[in-house]
Amino acid sequence: MKILALNGSFRKNGNTEILLKQALMGAESEGAQVEILRLTDYKISPCRGCGLCLFRENVCQVKDDDVSLIFSKVKECDGVILGSPCYFLELTAVIKQLIDRCWILGHQIGKIKKPATVIVPYATRGWIPYIAAQSNILLNVMGLTKINEAAICVQGISEVVLDQEALDVAYRMGREIAVAIRKKDFTYMGEEGVCPSCHDWLVRILKDRETVECPTCGVRGKLSMVNGKIRVKFEKKALKDNRFDPEVSYNHFTYHIAPSKDYFLRTKEERKSKFPKYQEYLPD
Amino acid sequence: MTDYVVKLRYYPGDALEEIKERNLKSLALKYGVQISYEKIENRQMKQGLLMENTLDKRIEDISQEVITVSGDREKKFADCIRALYKRYRCPRTVYSLLGSNEAGEKIAKSLMNIHGGW
Repeated sequence: MKILALNGSFRKNGNTEILLKQALMGAESEGAQVEILRLTDYKISPCRGCGLCLFRENVCQVKDDDVSLIFSKVKECDGVILGSPCYFLELTAVIKQLIDRCWILGHQIGKIKKPATVIVPYATRGWIPYIAAQSNILLNVMGLTKINEAAICVQGISEVVLDQEALDVAYRMGREIAVAIRKKDFTYMGEEGVCPSCHDWLVRILKDRETVECPTCGVRGKLSMVNGKIRVKFEKKALKDNRFDPEVSYNHFTYHIAPSKDYFLRTKEERKSKFPKYQEYLPD
Repeated sequence: MTDYVVKLRYYPGDALEEIKERNLKSLALKYGVQISYEKIENRQMKQGLLMENTLDKRIEDISQEVITVSGDREKKFADCIRALYKRYRCPRTVYSLLGSNEAGEKIAKSLMNIHGGW
């Protein structure tokens, strides 16, 4: 059993790395082989938006960086522990950069069965609204199943070593993922949240002001007040509309992405006539 | 000639619920518009999924459900489109209105943000 930690922090021996190492020690105690990748040590170029990977499996125009190495490490392992600090409401830029490059993996959504867990150290309470959404995007598009997540409130460099409770949480999460792999049971163990698929607390209000949507998986529900508490109800049939569901994902590639080639070719002449204005304005 | 014509092209799984012709008929009656429905089905069961090669196909030839709405009164036409979006969600591809006339497309597009997500 091999467990890979992906570290989204630039800082060596910072809180994220300490917590990831602690989790890996927990995984090792359950017999796992472990490895850690500090993502900022690798070259992750921006997605060029060429769209090739959307039309053909396993084809990416960007060949002079380390993304395929990172993907191969994820492919080889049995489970992933993702760590990232939250500097400004979100995970770090290197995580986002990696998410953008994950389109190439979109074809394999649902074909992989591996667990993942997420650890995010952050400094200020209330400043982490998007961390679950972003980690969910990365894990989902990599085909991984989130079994737990923890946000750890800590600020100064390496200060987390003073927080035994946080270290215990990380260690336990490392053990949990190893046990999950061994038992092949990827039941979610974290806090439930409002979305039954993503276990996140975010919802987006649609402009009809009647419907809410999980911004990550896209399932739709209704808001109501029950005994003075906000309730978000997702019908069972709505949960099938999760954009990371294998069938929904297949339909997206097959009926949204692939036929766009026909539309692109049909509008070629019109584009050619309207495009030069922008090519000539403020040229490179 | 009809002033407003829109074709709503829903690919498999795009509509939030099954499109039923009897529901379309009652909407046509309610809003005083004409509605027709066409289903194109070219999927085949492979590896447990209904699959289809769509890469080099004409948009009109791939599996989809097309609801065509036409009418002369802008308000009634728009209300009908809104009712369709509310029930099925708006179709979500950039070419989902292909085959509409300009006036119909303008109305259908303007309502998309409300019921299709933003």
